[in-house]
Order: sequence, then structure tokens, then C-alpha cells
Amino acid sequence: MPELEITKIQELVYELWVGDVMHNDVVTVTPSTPLSNLREILRDNRISGTPVVENGRLVGIISMEDFIKWLCEGSPGCAVADRMSRNVIAVCADEPLIQAINKLERLGFGRLPVIKRGTKEVVGILTKGDSIAGLLKKLDIDYRQAETRHPRSSHIFEDIVADRSSLIFEYDVAGGGDVERGGASASGLKTSLMRLGIDPQTVRRAAIATYEAEMNLMFFTNGGLITAIIESDSIRLEVTDDGPGIENVDQAMRPGFSTAPDWVRELGFGAGMGLYNIKTCADRMRLDSTVGVGTRLEVEILVGGKREVIRDNATVTA
Amino acid sequence: MKLSEIMQRLQLEVIAGSGSLLREVNGGYASDLLSDVIANAQERDLWVTLQTHQNIIAVASMKELAGIVLVNAREPEVDTLEKAKEENVPLLVSPLPAFELIGRLYKLGISGMRT
Amino acid sequence: MKLKDVCKILEAEPVRKVDSSRWRSREVASCQASDLISDMLSFRGPGSLLLTGLTNIQVIRAAELLDFVGICFVRGKRPEPEAVKLAEEKDIPLFATPLLMYESCGRLYAAKLPAGTRKEASPIA
Repeated sequence: MPELEITKIQELVYELWVGDVMHNDVVTVTPSTPLSNLREILRDNRISGTPVVENGRLVGIISMEDFIKWLCEGSPGCAVADRMSRNVIAVCADEPLIQAINKLERLGFGRLPVIKRGTKEVVGILTKGDSIAGLLKKLDIDYRQAETRHPRSSHIFEDIVADRSSLIFEYDVAGGGDVERGGASASGLKTSLMRLGIDPQTVRRAAIATYEAEMNLMFFTNGGLITAIIESDSIRLEVTDDGPGIENVDQAMRPGFSTAPDWVRELGFGAGMGLYNIKTCADRMRLDSTVGVGTRLEVEILVGGKREVIRDNATVTA
Repeated sequence: MKLSEIMQRLQLEVIAGSGSLLREVNGGYASDLLSDVIANAQERDLWVTLQTHQNIIAVASMKELAGIVLVNAREPEVDTLEKAKEENVPLLVSPLPAFELIGRLYKLGISGMRT
Repeated sequence: MKLKDVCKILEAEPVRKVDSSRWRSREVASCQASDLISDMLSFRGPGSLLLTGLTNIQVIRAAELLDFVGICFVRGKRPEPEAVKLAEEKDIPLFATPLLMYESCGRLYAAKLPAGTRKEASPIA
């Protein structure tokens, strides 16, 4: 998909700032630096030019070219100030990289000093190489995010030859209220569903339902199992545990009803919205519970649902 | 601004404590964490929350808050309602989400900055 | 409104010192304020900014599952280390403002940031 890639790079160029890709450790000289010293400075730092700075402010730029010209003239004794160009074009650190690249291109320069807006203080130097390296780095970072956008397994259901096929993912959830671990199942399911190329809205619904079910297992049971059965047109979740069970299912379904103790509330839970949230995400929902035996929750979410706005139309069978 | 005026202008439904609507509101406080409200809310603040547990009444009463507004059309639990009536704590409800309701209160001039 | 505008309005600082180009231009579609996870999960609308006083790792989970554009912690609260670590993994920008929740909402609302959409609460059949 070459077109897509170009768009992506264009986007990145607009998102990057000069300050993000410039070299901070810029080598500078002062106007009074003797030109005879310049050769070592350029050679030792492997650079072909350097900004001239006086009292922290940018006053000029001197390049290898200026130096060679000076050599050709028989190296008369003089200082940087006598040979530098005073009409310096610089870029600001908070300028978009794209502007700086245009400047480099238009002027045919290999480098531009970077100054702080307003103060003219030299804070870095930008080369063509930096710009490219910055883009590559950014591409690399974004690759991991892009991965879920270009799913690798999105054709799996078409590739498999069968009258019916389904994928089954299982997640073990520990009980005992270990808040740090909670949500790992929902997160894992979300990532997996994105990789299957399922639309983000459907994925979010499945992830939210899974998360709420996971938190219920974590806070109220000794642990349980979440099974996700994925077919080409639906996601089914089965959540089971072996106790303690819900005393009054109708009451538990009511938004705002919660049996959570204060410590759970202070963690941001116990708003009494858990089962209700699951219901708003589901196309079908079934909750069976027997006190002392356990609870079984079944949720069905249709893939590619038309709901722009989530409607409250799940069928609940208790 | 008096609580009654805020109630009218933002179309809040009063479900308890209607006898105390002439209370002056000094500022606004928004939080769903009781410990935070106990620590940081000030006298005569109007408290915006979606907690409906009966403890909110005890906190409002203890901190001498001007009243409580429940957002997202949350219905209080029965115990909460009873307690609010008992303690004469104004309990109001808005269908708006917290962000929207606070925004509108802010526009009425109810500040969230501490003096 | 972009994340960098939010930072300015809320006098907020990024929690993680990542290079700002990673987040500053991301568009904020809407805002929601909550200290309760399930309430956060009842909102819809990717690209929303979350304002919260809750600092545990589950706030990051909620942001991950709902595709929030970022989280701003209010009243000077700092997220717990595990929360920061997960945010890093999931590339979720985190900010901290000294302002209280109420003031933060008021300022953003006054700057015309809309509230996140939410399913209408309706009684269970």
C-alpha cells in the first residue's frame, strides 16, 4: 500500500518539530576565534560549518567554504568575524520540521542553526541528516501502533475453509482484588480483536464488557474464566465462576446498585454500573446465578454493529 | 448566588432538602471520591458527583456544603434519600454528565478556585 | 482543540518527559470528568480527554479500552508508578494540573470543548 505509507510520512512531518530532531550539543565559535583555529574545530568535530555566537546570541555563521576561500587568499591573519556571513538564516526550535526542510531545500544549505524564539540564543543545529533520522525514528516508534491498524490476521475467516469456524480465546482471572493485575484480559482481547481486523467500535464494546466482567470476578469471586468465542459475525463472551453468586440479579442489574465496600469505592469502583455497562455493550446478555454455587454470564456482540449510538436494547434473561 | 437560582437556571430536579434551597453557594467542588471531598471541599461549596451512596449525605452535612448535585441522572439509593431528608441536605439531579454540568455552573459564575 | 492547548488552559505539565511531538498536536474531540471507572466506561467517543483524580492503573486501562486521547490528573495528583508504566506501553499521554476538578472542567468548557457523548441513562426493562 504505497499510497498509505506516503500519507503516513506526510502526517509525521507535520507532527515533528525542529526541537525534536536537532542536535543539542552544537559546536560554536566566537567572532574573535582566529581563523587559523577553525580547521581543527571543523575537523575534530567532523562538521562543515559552525554558528558564530557572541554572549549567547547568534551573530553569524562560518563554513568550510569561507575557510577554503581564506586559504586561497594566502591565509592572512584574521578572525572569524572578518569572514563569517552575518546574514544568517536560522530556524526556531518550536517551528514545524516541514518548514525547516523547505528552508534547507530552497537555500541549498546543509545545515541551519536553531535558535530559541525571541532570544536568538543558539540551542542546536539542524542538518538534513537529522531530519531524516528524526523521521525514521518516529516511523519506528509508530510502527507498533500502526501494527494494529494493519492487521495481520484479518483474513483468517476467509482463509479457512469450513461451514463454520470460530476462534476461542480463554483468559484466567484471579480473585482477591489485586487491582494492579485487573484489566489484562480485556486488554489482551482488545489487541487480539484489532489484529483480526474487527471494527474498532465493536472491539471497544467487547473490551468494555470483558473489563467489567473481569473486575467483577476480581472483586467479588475467588476467580474465574472468561472465554471469548469469535466468529466472522459475532463475539460471544462466557464468564464463569464458582461463587459466591448473586443474591438478587434484578437488583444487581440496576444502575447505581452496589454492594462494594468503601475501600473499593475509593479505588474508583463500586459505582454500581458494571453489569449495566455490560448490558449497554451487548446485543444479547444472559445472567444465571445461584448463591453458593456460582455465576455464569453470557454476552453476545454482533460484529460490525450499526449502532453509532449505543442503544439499550440487550435482552436480559436472568 | 442562591441554590434556588442555580436550580432554576440549570433546570435541576430537587429530590430532597427543598427546605434549604435559599442557601448561598460560594463555589463548586467536583469529585467522586469521598476522602477527597472530606479533605478539600469548603463550606458552602456545591458538590457535583455521581456517587449515590448514603455516605455522601454525611460528608455534605459534616463539611457544611451548600448541596449535592447528582449527574448523569443518577438516582440515589433509598437510604441516601432518607438521610438527605433527615439532615435537610439539598439533593438535586441533572441528566447532564459532570463535565457539562460543571461547565454550565462555571459560566454562571460559580468558581472552582480556592480563596 | 489540541492537547497542547489543553495543557496551556489547565496549566498542566506532562507526567512523562517524552518528546512533545509525540502528543502535542493530537486532537481532543471531547472531555469527560470522572473518578469512577465504570462511569468512564459508560462514555463513548474515542479521542476524548479524561479528567480524573483517580491515580491507579485501572484509569489507564479505561483509557486504553476506550481509545482516549489522554488523561489529565487533577488537584496535583500524580499517577502511581505502575499506571505510568502501562501508559508508556500503550502510548497514552498523561498530564497533571494543580487545578481542582471543578475548575479544570469550567475552564475547558469555557474554551468550548464539548462533553463526551454518553448513552442516555434509561431504566432497565
